[in-house]
Amino acid sequence: MLDQMVVGPSLVEMRSLYDGKPDDFVNWSIAPQKKRPSVIDMPSMVHVGEEGLRAIYAHVMQVSKGVVAKKQEKGDPYAAAPTHLARPQVMRIFMPDAGPASIAVALDDINSLCWDAGICRLRFAWTGGFIDGFPYWQGNGSSLAKVLGTVKYTEQASPFGKDAAVKFLGYKVKGGLPVFRYKAGEKMVTESYSPVSGGMGFVRSFSVVTTAPLVLDFPDQSGVSVTADKGKLAGGKFTLTPAEAAAFTLTYSLK
Amino acid sequence: MKTTAFLAWITLSAAAFGWTEHFTFENIATPPGMDPQVGAMDCMPDGRIAVAFHRGEVMFLNPTDNSWKLFATGLQEPLGMLVEADGSVLVMQRAELTRLKDTDGDGSADEYETVFDDFGMSGNYHEFAYGPARDTEGNLFIVLGVASNGAPMAPEIRGEFSEIGQVDFKGMITRETWGKNKNTAGRMYARVKWRGWVLKISPDGKKMEPYASGFRSPNGIGFDAKGRLLITDNQGDWRPTSPLYDVRRGGFYGHPASLVWKEGWNGGDPRLMDVGKLDAMQVPAAGFFPQGELANSPTWPVIIPAKGFPEGMAGQTVIGEMNQPNLVRVLDDEVGGVFQTALIPMFDGSPLGIGNNRMVFGNDGAMYVGKTALSWAGGKGITRIKWNGKEFLSLEKIKALPKGFALRFSQPLDSLTIKTLAVKRHTYQYHQAYGAPKKNEELLVVGGATLSEDGMTVTLDVGALAERYLHLIDMTGLLSQEGGKILGNKAWYHVVKAPK
Repeated sequence: MLDQMVVGPSLVEMRSLYDGKPDDFVNWSIAPQKKRPSVIDMPSMVHVGEEGLRAIYAHVMQVSKGVVAKKQEKGDPYAAAPTHLARPQVMRIFMPDAGPASIAVALDDINSLCWDAGICRLRFAWTGGFIDGFPYWQGNGSSLAKVLGTVKYTEQASPFGKDAAVKFLGYKVKGGLPVFRYKAGEKMVTESYSPVSGGMGFVRSFSVVTTAPLVLDFPDQSGVSVTADKGKLAGGKFTLTPAEAAAFTLTYSLK
Repeated sequence: MKTTAFLAWITLSAAAFGWTEHFTFENIATPPGMDPQVGAMDCMPDGRIAVAFHRGEVMFLNPTDNSWKLFATGLQEPLGMLVEADGSVLVMQRAELTRLKDTDGDGSADEYETVFDDFGMSGNYHEFAYGPARDTEGNLFIVLGVASNGAPMAPEIRGEFSEIGQVDFKGMITRETWGKNKNTAGRMYARVKWRGWVLKISPDGKKMEPYASGFRSPNGIGFDAKGRLLITDNQGDWRPTSPLYDVRRGGFYGHPASLVWKEGWNGGDPRLMDVGKLDAMQVPAAGFFPQGELANSPTWPVIIPAKGFPEGMAGQTVIGEMNQPNLVRVLDDEVGGVFQTALIPMFDGSPLGIGNNRMVFGNDGAMYVGKTALSWAGGKGITRIKWNGKEFLSLEKIKALPKGFALRFSQPLDSLTIKTLAVKRHTYQYHQAYGAPKKNEELLVVGGATLSEDGMTVTLDVGALAERYLHLIDMTGLLSQEGGKILGNKAWYHVVKAPK
């Protein structure tokens, strides 16, 4: 635009950068590169040719003379979209401290978590708000979503073991909440989440198809207390019979 | 995808006025408050238009009253869609090909089934994923874009890392030293699996075949009416101008980054290879979109249906375009078994505008164009285009001849105007640099232009055609016998194989 930056610099800003420097303008147009972290890199205009670029330079200098730049509007123009405000919700987006196939889940207005579909496990949970996806959407994936709130729990490894081969199969949505499905080794697993009623934390329900007793890794974590409706939780291990593994629930209370 | 950004106003092609006498262009209101950038579209069995938006919503547009119904949410940058016979919807998003299913019949998707996700993600913003296109046997084809050195990889990646390259893993993920490493990383890079590849996925999603390599930012994939798998790509490094490919099994399509994933690859860093060797390996483009004239960032191919648009266009492919205010119509030709095309502007000079990312034809015969910008130049929302049934002059067929072209038109021509036909040609240099100017541009001498008895076919004698040259046939001066101007006044024919 003439007087406002949209994708690249405005013509007014080009004037401030290249007035009296036609060679620099031509060089920039041919090899513009990425100059600003929050926007996309501009492609080369080499196809226009030097003569054309010099003509464009003359035009830019002429039309921008004496024009004052307008300030760029900041903030997410679609922050109030019904789909953003919905709770609960499941949103795939680039998240900090997680793999690129991660999924952000708002359980309610307070509790949220990041589940990584690349390695099929919970990464972290937080309280206070959901995410600000605008940096990601505005930058077309060049920036991560921001976590709104305080991370209260970080899971260091999969309960099924660090080296378990996993295969993500997708998820179902029940009442807006996700039921993740995946294979861990040969075991078929479903893992669903819901918020702790009226408080900070989440309820994590598993269904594991297995013919042998199930032993899961559950190292002690600070900042969280975990209770189970079945099985034995001791010494960083959680042991269930095959029948118990078919449906069990862990409740994570966050401080 | 990419844009001419601030220079988008430079539209060098002459606009052909008159589309609005034959077509209506109606902007459809998108759902209130939502980001209206369109990433994918298809038509449901019941005639509703399924639309996937930039922020992950999938909604159905009822074309009879323009009302919207939310179907699914939370997808990541959906850039392709295929509606299935049972009403489930396949969507290609960054991390996977997903089947959206409404299992309880309440009108909303409640199952997001992962059909295929066995490909790498480096976390780089430019790794877009496109597709699926389905062949007659039910196989699904997707194509994966490569990463840009506008940013490093993320600290965590999905899948295997290729050690082939001048920058090691640590250098590829470290933002602080990226300014030093970015140039040796490659303008675009493919350090995780299958970036830059077309993957063929079995109908059940369980088997995958790496099908073809050499793609950069292929924002368009689809089968044409004759079953050819067409893929568009974007001008950039190793892309002198944007190409259209007829993709075959095992083919290499020019961008070398993907070669690191070729089975048994031992050629080292492909971008350091001898350019002549790479050139000999690549399959020539079936068509070229001249940058700044026809298209800078071509998008999705769709087939013009039997009803709704002029009969002579039925079965032809039309392709979207992000930065020039037009679509692009594809005219097929075949010489010695080689598919090659002429590309023609469509709706240039109309109210359509730019940002034409996705198109679909509804059961009502109307074309729905979904727009986006994705932080480059572009548009937003949906435009519905309807033909009013009034015929017009256009180029319907083209055939390369040993000494020129045969051009078949939709209406009889004013014989006096065929003398205005002019032909130029140029070629491009294949190289690592970003884009390329025209090379060896020359005006051809028209030795003769003869009109067929029915007045609808011109045989144009310009001497022998040159292989690997883009021939521009300028038809601006043509008039029909009734005095109508031609719509789509230029045709760029890429001669891959010249008739003998």
